[in-house]
Amino acid sequence: MAKKMTLALFSGSVDKLTAAGVILGGAAAEDMDVEIFVLLQAAFAFKKENAMTNDRVAEITDKKDEFLASLKRLEAPHWTEAFRKAKEMTNVKIHICGFAGKVWGGEKLDDFIDLADDIVGIGEYVDAAENSDINLFI
Amino acid sequence: MTKEELKQLKPDKVVDARGTACPGPLLAVKQAIADVPEGGIMEILSSDEGTKRDVPRWAKKKGYEYLGDFEESGYFTIYLKK
Repeated sequence: MAKKMTLALFSGSVDKLTAAGVILGGAAAEDMDVEIFVLLQAAFAFKKENAMTNDRVAEITDKKDEFLASLKRLEAPHWTEAFRKAKEMTNVKIHICGFAGKVWGGEKLDDFIDLADDIVGIGEYVDAAENSDINLFI
Repeated sequence: MTKEELKQLKPDKVVDARGTACPGPLLAVKQAIADVPEGGIMEILSSDEGTKRDVPRWAKKKGYEYLGDFEESGYFTIYLKK
């Protein structure tokens, strides 16, 4: 039986989303079942109009340009690409928190990038976290 | 296995993941393992130092045999037996 990971994804910043993508890659290599709950600021990053243009960083903000240049030099995939690859390789479900979506004007699933599977309430996160082997908040 | 013994192996599949950052090499290995016949050898080329630790650990979990690795010309060459 596959191990389960839940990821409460709060951050809408490229640095933390990139880290989440790397962790997702590790989970995919292990064939883990992953459930991602897109909360508040992360819902901003998942909006169709923001996903590819958002370049905010959460940490070491004075080194943002150096960080983004390093990602490019290292040919690190954009976080959306890392998430997509993980979805192709293992069972990853991405849930948009309904409240978070509304905060950023996202009422329908179609308002978000196609990585998102559905819009849910927080009860689904609590249920999934209760039954997961690894639970992360990023 | 020694470096010389590893070099004598005839891989059934070569995964060249040089230039990709973690977790790219590990995911490339996972995707390519299906192409290796039972008992076959996979050769992995990676410039990412973490790969030489990730691949043996992953292989052990999946029931594959890690044969060894060596560093040469600025990259790592790692061998697995399926």
